[in-house]
Amino acid sequence: MAPKLVATSRQRPLISGDRLFRAIAYGAAALILLIAAVFIVALLIPALPAITKFGLGFFVSRTWDPVRVQFGALPAIYGTLVTSAIALLIAFPVGMGAALFLAEDARLRLLRGPLSFAIELLAGIPSVVIGLWAFFILTPLMRDNVDPFLKHTLGFLPFFQGSASGYGFLTAGVVLAIMVLPIMVALSRDVIRAVPLALREASLALGATNAETIWSVVLPYARVGITGAVLLSLGRALGETIAVTMVIGNRPEISASLFSTGYTLPSVIANEFTEAVGNVYLGALFYLGLVLVVITIVVNVLARLLVWRFTGSEPTAA
Amino acid sequence: MKRALIALFGGAIVLAGCGGNTAATNPSTGNANLPTPPGASLTGAGATFPQPFYAAAFFAYNKKFSQVTVNYQAVGSGAGIQQLTKKTVDFGASDVPLKSSEADAMGGSDKVVQLAGTLGTESLAYNLQGVGGGQLKLTPDTIAGIFLGMIKKWNDPALKADNSGISLPDQDIHVVHRSDGSGTTYIFSDYLSSVSSEWASKVGRGKSVSWPVGQGASGNAAVATTIKQTPGAIGYVELAYVLQTNMTQATLKNKDGNFVLPSAAGATAAAKQFAGASPSQFSIVNAPGRDSAPISGYSWLMLYKDQANKARGTAMVDLFYWLVTDGQQYATNLHYAALPGNMVSYDLAVLKSVTSGGTTLLSVSS
Repeated sequence: MAPKLVATSRQRPLISGDRLFRAIAYGAAALILLIAAVFIVALLIPALPAITKFGLGFFVSRTWDPVRVQFGALPAIYGTLVTSAIALLIAFPVGMGAALFLAEDARLRLLRGPLSFAIELLAGIPSVVIGLWAFFILTPLMRDNVDPFLKHTLGFLPFFQGSASGYGFLTAGVVLAIMVLPIMVALSRDVIRAVPLALREASLALGATNAETIWSVVLPYARVGITGAVLLSLGRALGETIAVTMVIGNRPEISASLFSTGYTLPSVIANEFTEAVGNVYLGALFYLGLVLVVITIVVNVLARLLVWRFTGSEPTAA
Repeated sequence: MKRALIALFGGAIVLAGCGGNTAATNPSTGNANLPTPPGASLTGAGATFPQPFYAAAFFAYNKKFSQVTVNYQAVGSGAGIQQLTKKTVDFGASDVPLKSSEADAMGGSDKVVQLAGTLGTESLAYNLQGVGGGQLKLTPDTIAGIFLGMIKKWNDPALKADNSGISLPDQDIHVVHRSDGSGTTYIFSDYLSSVSSEWASKVGRGKSVSWPVGQGASGNAAVATTIKQTPGAIGYVELAYVLQTNMTQATLKNKDGNFVLPSAAGATAAAKQFAGASPSQFSIVNAPGRDSAPISGYSWLMLYKDQANKARGTAMVDLFYWLVTDGQQYATNLHYAALPGNMVSYDLAVLKSVTSGGTTLLSVSS
């Protein structure tokens, strides 16, 4: 009976309402693609004066001199990558611990609800509020406590040398870590939960402890999905503007020391667009925007592909 | 009756406004001939620096003439100029007058007029344990040295030489500057360029410059807060922010060799030294004169010379006529400086040149 029903419904010719609905749905889908394309072109056109003047040299020049109309993106690209890397270095271990706890530990069930709630709460705090907190509370804390401690214990490394004002790469990285933590935890938790029960049971049946099961079965299986979670967090960190602008020091500088002040791509744009006069200056800001969009799109596409590959494929097929 | 009341009321304000400062008054601008504007809702956009003053003044004007409302958006000079170019606003405001290329985009420099709306001055605020407000003395040489990164410590011999009375600590100097493009930065870099040939050749003047040292913070308020919470910090901040937030500011040596604490009166004194100031000769930094505050500058308003809509145009010139005369009283309360008489005269001449269909819009006799 059932197959026959399906067959007739499939063969039934489309009535006009269906056609209309299909047209609307296709139109909506096409519109999104169109908006994306228009967006890129709209960035590209105003960027042209800077692209023609600086070309690819834009990516290696360290100069940012509005008076002499000489611009280079290297310090901003460096600052964006360094702060995002610090954020991931801090957020990854913390986030994985929290995700494993939420997904695996059945004994403290009572704590799960509040913890999940707290993480979602953290995700909902507007970045400008986090920025305010960082500006008024975190920077003095870093200057008076964290930075001197790092200098004292790890001062032999080039990363922890020089005078620390509380503003700079490290503080911005810590702020970003706090901001990407919710994404990291929530996605990793879902990925770890998606690991088939049969695999865990098999591992436990072979005599492995809980820890051994997590280490040798669950995490390797979830690796691809976790990588995706990390990349999505990276995407968030790369584009974050206001909170970073408030603590990074806004100086186009490339320095190995994490105490040093720096600049990021979004911060330069946010700071300078209001008074950027002249086609080349404004073009340089659009050029930076284009660089940022391309980096973010690549990271996000990579991340989504990895996450989908993991949670989308049927685990039983293996 | 109503007019008489307004005139009486306005006259009282003029007297009150003139009590402490005679600079803003021009004998020909008695309040009795303040024109009654036609109804209009005007919009302007531009610089953030004069925003508190314009907001207070436009609010007061609306109380006086309820048919005129003014919406001023402090989106930054660059954005204000762009909006005026696209004619999405009635007037623009900028701390630096239009460049010729910007005027060309508006149809040429003869199509747009500019007048000074207010006058301000900047302070050097610092955060040094045990050194109170006004105690630190800075000279053009030490200011340039600090901002060029050549004077790195607070106990540098050059600083000690000017400050024998106080003990300066062996502490790093932490320079704070604006990270966003701003007229404040323009005036400060203009000052440094005029007192230091090294600054002029290495860095130059601009709304954003390539700073040899220091960290950036976005806006006067963020610079002020960063200085307040960073030991050893120094930075340039609008006088209003310094006074409103009780920051410690340095005494500055002016061109005549006197040490002055920046003040609104000092800015007016400096501006008076440049009798021929105009949008093409707008720099008033490093002024001579005993009381001149050295880091001062005008803030400009700009509008089209030929107004398409006669009623709106009339409302606007009437508003600006009031702003540069009676309206100046709202400046001093907010620590902006009153415009000197020569600039008020210049402004009035500019306003008289604004027309609509060949008719002059300003209807005051003087």
